[in-house]
Amino acid sequence: MKALNRTGLLASAGAALIALGSTPAAADLFKSPVADWTGGAVTCEIIHQILEREMGHRVKRITMPSGPAVSEGLRAGDLDYACETWPSYSTTKEKYVTEFGGDGSIRYYAPVGVIGQSGYYVPRYLVEGEGALAPDLKTWEDLNRYKDLFKTLESGDKGRLIACPVSAWECKDHDRAAGLDLEYELVELGSETAHWAELKGLYARKEPFVAYAWEPHWIHATLDLVEVELPPYSEEAWPVSDWPEDVTYNYGTPSFEEEHPDVVALIRNFRMSNSEQAELILAIDVDGRDLDEVVEEWLENNEEVWRPWVPDQG
Amino acid sequence: MARHAPRVSAIPRLMLGGRDWTLAALLLAGVAISLLVMKASGGAHPFPEDVVRAFPMVEWVNQAEKWLQEHFRWFTRGISEAVGWALESLELFLLLQPWPVLVIVLVLPALAYGGLRLGLFTSFGVMFWGAVDMWDVAISTLSLMGVSVLLCVATGTVLGIVCSQNDRFEAMLRPVLDAMQVMPAFVYLVPAIFFFGLGGPSAAMAIIIYALPPMIRLTNLGIRQVSPQMIEAARAFGATPMQMLTKVQIPQAMPSIRLGVNQTIMMALALAVLATFIGAEGLGAEVWRAITRLKVGHSFEGGLCIVIMAVIFDRMSAAMNRDRTRALPAGFLEFRLLPQKWDSHPAARVVEIGIDRAWNTVGGACTATARGVGRLLGALAALVDRSMQIRVSAWCARRGFLVTGLILIAAVLVIDAHLLRIGDFPREWEISIREPIDKVVADLTVYPPFIAVTQWIRAAVYLYLLAPLDRFLVELPWFYVAGLVGLIVWRSVGLGFAIVTTVALFFVGAADLWTITMYTLAGTTVSVVICMVIGIPLGIAAAHSRVWDAIQRPVLDTMQTMPAFVYLIPVLFFFGGNPTTAIIATVIYALPPMIRLTTLGIGQIPLEIDEVARSFGSRTLQTLTKVKFPLAIPSIMLGVNQTVIMALAMQAITPLVAGLGLGKEVYDAMNTANTGRGLMAGIGITLLAIVLDRLTQSWTRQQRAALGLS
Repeated sequence: MKALNRTGLLASAGAALIALGSTPAAADLFKSPVADWTGGAVTCEIIHQILEREMGHRVKRITMPSGPAVSEGLRAGDLDYACETWPSYSTTKEKYVTEFGGDGSIRYYAPVGVIGQSGYYVPRYLVEGEGALAPDLKTWEDLNRYKDLFKTLESGDKGRLIACPVSAWECKDHDRAAGLDLEYELVELGSETAHWAELKGLYARKEPFVAYAWEPHWIHATLDLVEVELPPYSEEAWPVSDWPEDVTYNYGTPSFEEEHPDVVALIRNFRMSNSEQAELILAIDVDGRDLDEVVEEWLENNEEVWRPWVPDQG
Repeated sequence: MARHAPRVSAIPRLMLGGRDWTLAALLLAGVAISLLVMKASGGAHPFPEDVVRAFPMVEWVNQAEKWLQEHFRWFTRGISEAVGWALESLELFLLLQPWPVLVIVLVLPALAYGGLRLGLFTSFGVMFWGAVDMWDVAISTLSLMGVSVLLCVATGTVLGIVCSQNDRFEAMLRPVLDAMQVMPAFVYLVPAIFFFGLGGPSAAMAIIIYALPPMIRLTNLGIRQVSPQMIEAARAFGATPMQMLTKVQIPQAMPSIRLGVNQTIMMALALAVLATFIGAEGLGAEVWRAITRLKVGHSFEGGLCIVIMAVIFDRMSAAMNRDRTRALPAGFLEFRLLPQKWDSHPAARVVEIGIDRAWNTVGGACTATARGVGRLLGALAALVDRSMQIRVSAWCARRGFLVTGLILIAAVLVIDAHLLRIGDFPREWEISIREPIDKVVADLTVYPPFIAVTQWIRAAVYLYLLAPLDRFLVELPWFYVAGLVGLIVWRSVGLGFAIVTTVALFFVGAADLWTITMYTLAGTTVSVVICMVIGIPLGIAAAHSRVWDAIQRPVLDTMQTMPAFVYLIPVLFFFGGNPTTAIIATVIYALPPMIRLTTLGIGQIPLEIDEVARSFGSRTLQTLTKVKFPLAIPSIMLGVNQTVIMALAMQAITPLVAGLGLGKEVYDAMNTANTGRGLMAGIGITLLAIVLDRLTQSWTRQQRAALGLS
């Protein structure tokens, strides 16, 4: 990472100098945010490395929290493209993306290939094995029976359900709980980090909990969680149902696509399935290896996969 | 401090318990009446919906933002390009130097101003950045700090001078400065991106908003405090207003201005961490990246780098402000490394004599080198102009450290370029404290006795403090609360401010923020009460025991400068995701001023007061509770004041760990890029802060007056 930062910096400084001389050549330095979850970071790093190795561009990677600042950065022209937005977690799509009623300053280029699926989860030690406290907890219909198990100081007579952490995400936990008559107090922890920290702490102490989570996510590499079945998703039933599939997108601005059709063509061609990505995530989060190193290795071993993505140049 | 010493005659009065019980009685009666009102009104009384609908303030702000975006972007982008260029050049320059250069640049002033101890601390501190592999990010933070602090100092001094010359301008600027300091940064960080761009330039702008006020305030204060006699004398000599300013007022105000620089640096560093939210690289980004993956140890290393940077800057700028011309008695051996208290131990003396010799030799060598260089440059200058020769030689001779430092840097550069590649910080010197910290946190998370204690605290805070107070404040009718607050402010501060406060409360209600403002008020109150319960005894302990003070001091420094992200997650591991966790995090951040000002208040009491109290037959505990504590109350109240402001500032961070109230509103608004919503809630926090600040300040003044302190 260190070396990359340094090259990025040098490159950006170089670009700044060239920009002062106002030569168009400056444009081949792209800026892209590093997603703060491993999956998103992997997707982008693959694209960055192909751009650098095969297409002669350079990319400055900017570490920043994913969210509105990324959207604003794109809109302001300070970022060029970003990876793996999950539409239901995007808090600003209604403001910027045409399909959702926004002003069109941001464009979803193409699906990543990774499909997200949200749900309510309980730890495996709660439902399986010796001394499991809720062996029959399988579906949403069993939740009320076990509500006492999930009671806390603050939740009163109800059980505590650790809901979607950010209120702007499209989880509709309250509508779902009301529709399914769940006798649960929904707790919103404010940030994704706090959400996982709470789960990790409870898990370490083997306490019972039922919490919102989704796949693919690195947390499943650390905690063994089992999904609680919800009524199947349908458009009419939503949100009193399971979640729909979340098709994730790589995205950027319309103007970037006009200026650099070749780069956006690469992004449009890119596809990666959940299981392909999971392998890379495991190497990073479980084996603790560096992101750029893992991606480099993947590129070396999978040329037949990514070579066709590279658009014909010239 | 003698000027502020309490009158000895106040002691018998204090000891005889001549205390005013009316205040306590009033308080009790107030609570009783309020409880009755709450019961009588039955359930929550939200602010009337019609009023809320009549004032769509969020919409107005968003429209204004849009207009600004369309018409002012060319201007803001122009500024940000210049700032961005300065930032990138500085960062690149620092990054490309071989690493010892940065060490020399930072350690030499530390040695020159702060002596051997600060010099050693600085060199270890700077090398720690390299040792934990955060050299590059530390340099990013340093560059951001350097450029923004320079901008703050430049604009702050100018505005401060204007303030000092013009009362009306000062009065106008004052509420603006208050707002700049307490408005949560999350309100303006994201909107700043469109105007100033991602990363450095926006971060620098945000830092200027946050860190400029102390610079203006202390410049203004320093100039206004210049003694009238001196002004009179200067006028008698026929000084023009401009001469008066540049030759008398500003030089006299320098200590105050330097204190302003110190405060500005500390505040700038706090915001440089938050600036990661808009893509500013540096230590803040490193901490954030680690904490989103729940890597507590890694984030702690980053946090420690920030603490070290803060301590270096703080001590260095404080040392520059100290008077270094004090005369030492002949034959007095000043201890440079060990505590001066040990000077009766022969072994310590031997060590210190050695250090003293070395120190003087190095100092002598530096001076000699500087003289030599001075002569050389002087000879060169003589080719141009005779008088310049003397000036150049004298200039060099007076700056032994600087000249030697420049020679050292040149030497490192020459060695690096021609003899031996030095380059980056050596990999072999890297250390890591991640794993032990991770292990401690993981072990504590599952250690039953520890968790039993944390859960007991959580239950006590929630059941007996937070939940009742929440309910109390939310269920009281809004007009009653507004009226009561107005009344208290009127009695304590004055009619004008009471009217402002009531209008402000109405504004909060009209912006549909009434209930969550009450949540914020409850959370802040509970945090401040806990801070007082913990902080006052600790402060007293530190005032009575030097050892305890010495142990506590670095801990307090760390609590104040460690980025909150670092401890939020461990606190959450231990206390769980509930409202109490937010309170605990707030207490960690807001406790230090409470402790420090209690220690200061008690420590300031002159010894003779202790004597007099004893001669009246008072025992140690009696002296403490009946004499010292009441005399220290003004200082303690100032601590409460600071704690309140810091607790409110923390409201912007606690939403990350289940905090409720206005802070969460700001955070949610940031998440949806809704500037209007964020600004309204931010104004709510600002109003709370200003009202509470003025209230505690006026109580402190009254207390001081009662004790005959001013």
